[in-house]
Amino acid sequence: MLRVSAKTTGTRIDLKGVMGDEAAAAEGILFGKELMRLAEAAARRDLSALPKARRELLAVAGPEVLVDAAGVIANFQRMVRIADSMGIPVDNIGSSVSAEVRGVLPIERFASAANSGISHEQVHE
Amino acid sequence: MQSGAFDYTGSTVAIRADIAVAHRDFWQKLGRPGSWWTGAERIAIAKASRDALSCGYCRDISRSLSPYGVKGEHTSVPGLSATAIDAVHRVVNHAGRITRSWVEDNTTKWLSKAQYVELVGIVVCVLSIDEFHRCLDLPLEPLPPAQAGEITRYVPDVLRDDIGFVPTIPKDGAVGLEHDLWPGGVSANVLRALTSVPQALRDWLAISAAQYLAVERMGNMVRDEKRSIDRMQMELIAARVSSINECFY
Repeated sequence: MLRVSAKTTGTRIDLKGVMGDEAAAAEGILFGKELMRLAEAAARRDLSALPKARRELLAVAGPEVLVDAAGVIANFQRMVRIADSMGIPVDNIGSSVSAEVRGVLPIERFASAANSGISHEQVHE
Repeated sequence: MQSGAFDYTGSTVAIRADIAVAHRDFWQKLGRPGSWWTGAERIAIAKASRDALSCGYCRDISRSLSPYGVKGEHTSVPGLSATAIDAVHRVVNHAGRITRSWVEDNTTKWLSKAQYVELVGIVVCVLSIDEFHRCLDLPLEPLPPAQAGEITRYVPDVLRDDIGFVPTIPKDGAVGLEHDLWPGGVSANVLRALTSVPQALRDWLAISAAQYLAVERMGNMVRDEKRSIDRMQMELIAARVSSINECFY
């Protein structure tokens, strides 16, 4: 979806932001670094990093952005668990966007890739 | 339910009214009997989902290469079987390592696939509401009281075993009482995932529409007029959370 939204708006982004690269997260995305830090602290339940990440985002982007970001974080803490606990495969594993993302990000090493027919043996070949 | 649940007026940042409504609506349903769990059992599942975050046994499992070979016990919750508690904790803490064989094996330990689906639906909704609170440093909402009544044992007319670990309603199977399940006619595997308990899908869709976007509005890849962040900002957050959880989907 990140790749699709960037293409739709003709924005140059760096997908490595998804893996925690702060400079990459900021490429083409307003408050990208601060949004990523909040997402990371919340998803890792890093109680030492979360207050700082919250303050930083609030300071640069304001309360509305903080609340909407918290909503998206909360939403995807749910979505990943629905997908993985039910073992559903990716809908469009053969699409060019999916292939492009998998080419940039090392997500095929995730155990849940097996639910989409990607085995660790394939990844390590 | 307690009056004033999800009263965000004391929050240091203004919370959108539709978020409060969505959270409050789910809380009202949480204590009612469901398809396969009583009101008391649903509240016990919610309590177990909160206990899971401080579970020592789960920490041992996280450190282990083999998540199903670790001996130990999760924090017990009155009124919930050890199998159900294990399922709750694995959904919260180890979802990416859940396997078909584990789901199948649980059906021999008094956790049917239908019960598992409703359990997951409860866990993920409670977790996401709690995560919203933790993210904004808000106190967790007390769980609602359980309501008496019979479970419905509802099974949709059309189920297929073609994706994932459990039967789901196929894209062309949202008919009759399930005609409302694909908002705007849109379906996807993640929408199908919990459909053997249709109310579980309805519950998370309502929360998702407030926390993120309604399915009908997801076609707008630029910016939703009711949000302060654009779609790229949203999807960066979504992708980072998914990555940390090692979710391939």
